[in-house]
Amino acid sequence: MTPWLVIVLLLGNFMLMAFDARQIDSGQRVIRVWGQTVADFVQSPVTTVTSSMSGYFSSISNLRSAQDENTLLKNHVQELEVELKGKEELAAENQRLKSLLDLKGSSKYKVLTARIIGRDPSVWFDSSIIDRGSLDGVKLNMPVVTNGGLVGRVTAVGPLTSQVDMITRDKSGVGGVIGEISASSALGVISGTSKKDIVEMRYVAGSYDVQPGQVVYTTGQDGIYPAGLKIGEIVEVISGSATTPHRIFVRPSAGLTSMQEVAVLLYEPPVKSEFEQKLPNATKSGQK
Amino acid sequence: MDNLKITIALIIAVLLQWTLRNVAEPLGYIDLPLIIVVYAALQRDAVKAVLFGTFSGLAVDALSGGLLGANGFSKTLVAFVVSELARRVYMDNLLLRIPVIAGASLLDDMLYYGLHRLFGQEPNVPVLATISYSLIATTIAGTVIFLLLDFTLSEKVRKPKREMFPSRRQTRRRNPIRLGK
Repeated sequence: MTPWLVIVLLLGNFMLMAFDARQIDSGQRVIRVWGQTVADFVQSPVTTVTSSMSGYFSSISNLRSAQDENTLLKNHVQELEVELKGKEELAAENQRLKSLLDLKGSSKYKVLTARIIGRDPSVWFDSSIIDRGSLDGVKLNMPVVTNGGLVGRVTAVGPLTSQVDMITRDKSGVGGVIGEISASSALGVISGTSKKDIVEMRYVAGSYDVQPGQVVYTTGQDGIYPAGLKIGEIVEVISGSATTPHRIFVRPSAGLTSMQEVAVLLYEPPVKSEFEQKLPNATKSGQK
Repeated sequence: MDNLKITIALIIAVLLQWTLRNVAEPLGYIDLPLIIVVYAALQRDAVKAVLFGTFSGLAVDALSGGLLGANGFSKTLVAFVVSELARRVYMDNLLLRIPVIAGASLLDDMLYYGLHRLFGQEPNVPVLATISYSLIATTIAGTVIFLLLDFTLSEKVRKPKREMFPSRRQTRRRNPIRLGK
């Protein structure tokens, strides 16, 4: 009986993978949404407890030096240090939230601030879970940003939480332009590399003059991200020729490894015309 | 009763796997559900082990950016292989179980990576480094967790404590003075 059970389970998992691989860029995965909803009840309290605990322990470690310096004032210093640490954390959080509020004020689109409450449980990928879901108005494929720049897009939406895939993912495919879109025509596609803090811009013709330090923005032509969002700065260029494209490496300006709060742009791309939908590489009608 | 205890251990492992990487990045390399699945497989109950493998794998996949079913597939296969191995080879000794955890971790990671390559969803991480870190972390954590599980969950393992190491044959020595007499 066991081999048959194993075969059935393996086939079931294989079918799920095949379905997921086909739908990964466009569809909503129901099991993922259920999983997220259940996990939210665990992740939110754990995130709160661990952040307060790490704050407490860092306060204690800071106190060790004060203990050595003056044992008589130990208790007094401890209280002051804990208080100061708490205030510093509050100030830093205040600063981050303020910058997100600035973004909210300056952005052309409606912005929904969110907190990162969980990270990918597998070390092979780097998606994040945020504490905003469909009840807050989040929809599939909405862009996620920080005040620094573009983070990624929403790939699964539960009622209370959503999953965000970073632009560092191999299949992210963000349309990018070097410099302002109106002033440049050096267009390319941004996708991930094996480094967590570097993305690669491909298909930029070798005839363009590209230098490290130039800024890359979104083009708005990929059907997901609006135009003009900052992606990052060019850090390395392997020059191409008249027939081969440049290899351009970009450091994302969003600070992807350290971010704690993000903003979801409540942006929905313009609906494609009937003619565009019939193009061979466009999403087939009937698929969401 | 043991079944219930191991099921609870598996649920705790999945919940911890969901949250630990958020606490500290290196903790993500420990595959806690795999450790419990291998432990269940070593109890020689293949049905329980493969079901554990599928459900824990799908639970991890649900929150992962990877393919849904990839962990489920790899853990199911690992559970089956380990349980079949445990039926044929004596593995009640903790020292013998260490290479089993290491092998299971290696097989699981290689299957997971291979399945993603097969479906064109290659992860953007250094493969060898990730597999190596995962192998080391899971083997060390697995050894400790196996010891804990042996001493807290299983009643029958608690009795023959000496089985951890080969037992020494005990013979009564004859008294040479008496022999002389």
